[in-house]
Amino acid sequence: MNRTHSLLLGATVAALLAACASAPKTYPELDTARAMVPQVEASPRAGVAATQVAEARKSLDRANRMAESGGKPEDINFEANVASKNAQIANEKILTAEAKEQIDKGEAQRQAVLLQARERENQVRTQQAQMSAEDAELAKQRAASLEKELADLKGKQTDRGLVITLGDVLFDTGKSTLKPGAYATVDRLATALKGNPDRKVAIEGHTDSVGSEEYNMELSQRRAQAVQSALLERGVSSSQVSAYGKGKTFPVASNDSAAGRQQNRRVELVFSNEVKTARDGA
Amino acid sequence: MNKIFVSLIAASSVALMVGCGGSVSALTKDHVSKSDVAVQQATQTLGNTEAGAIELQRAKDNLAQAKAAVAAKNDKAADRFASMAQLDAELAVAKSQTASTRKAADEVLASVETLRNEAARGTP
Repeated sequence: MNRTHSLLLGATVAALLAACASAPKTYPELDTARAMVPQVEASPRAGVAATQVAEARKSLDRANRMAESGGKPEDINFEANVASKNAQIANEKILTAEAKEQIDKGEAQRQAVLLQARERENQVRTQQAQMSAEDAELAKQRAASLEKELADLKGKQTDRGLVITLGDVLFDTGKSTLKPGAYATVDRLATALKGNPDRKVAIEGHTDSVGSEEYNMELSQRRAQAVQSALLERGVSSSQVSAYGKGKTFPVASNDSAAGRQQNRRVELVFSNEVKTARDGA
Repeated sequence: MNKIFVSLIAASSVALMVGCGGSVSALTKDHVSKSDVAVQQATQTLGNTEAGAIELQRAKDNLAQAKAAVAAKNDKAADRFASMAQLDAELAVAKSQTASTRKAADEVLASVETLRNEAARGTP
């Protein structure tokens, strides 16, 4: 600004010295105004300082006319200064308006970010609620399906767990190969076990008292293993199934009659009582 | 520098007006007192803030010159110094407003940025 002052001082002194002689052709103050006024006029936000922009233009036009018609430098400088000042005020108002717009936009963005965060939170909560509801429903269905399968197979609740008995009609006499008639039952057992991977089953082979202990032990073992293999072939996890031969030591009926012996020749599937679901355990 | 400049302008203005004689019109007196009010208001608005302080000082200098011109019965100089005092006062206020609004805007933008970062971190 000191520089401007010096220039203005120079111009004033020159004007005084020139007295009635011809006016100087250059006016630094006017040049400044000529540069500043069009800048604020061109601003897209010129509307916020309409008064100052109009005043600046009026003064600049006046200064230009005086400069053209050889007016007094003092008058030209004054009008040019008024034009520049108005342009500067307009410029400040434009800058303020810009900052205000940024504040409004920033506030809107802040609200949007907050809203998004809240929506995301709600979404996660809803999803979690849905998932646990689905989990519960699934667990219920699984439990229901196993209990249903086991009930259909005429399972009996005992202190060892739920027991399903496969009669000897599913095996040929003295053999450990499952007859095709057993497949439907084994299929259903496999499906029930696969649907309930946390349930375990112990397969126990039993025989009547006919024949040596060794023979019966071995036969019961092989029959239990035959059922185990059939389940494993159908995709049941080996960790769910174990097979044991119990021989003739656990009769369920008298071995004196044919009917009793037939009842004693059997394979029992003992289901553990755990009803914990995998997701509950997680 | 400023003082020399101002007094030179005043002196030259007085010199130019010599010969015209007469006393200062009521209109000019009113103009100067309006500038006085504008400068006082700007002083209150600015308080101790830095932005606009230079312009306010210039407004005060111009007002003093306007008052001096009135005392010297120089209508034209009084009017012009009064005009410049008023414009400088206006510019001082505008500058301080720009500075405070700018600061507020920067704070809002920074808080949005912080919030965004937090929201981004919070997302699983």
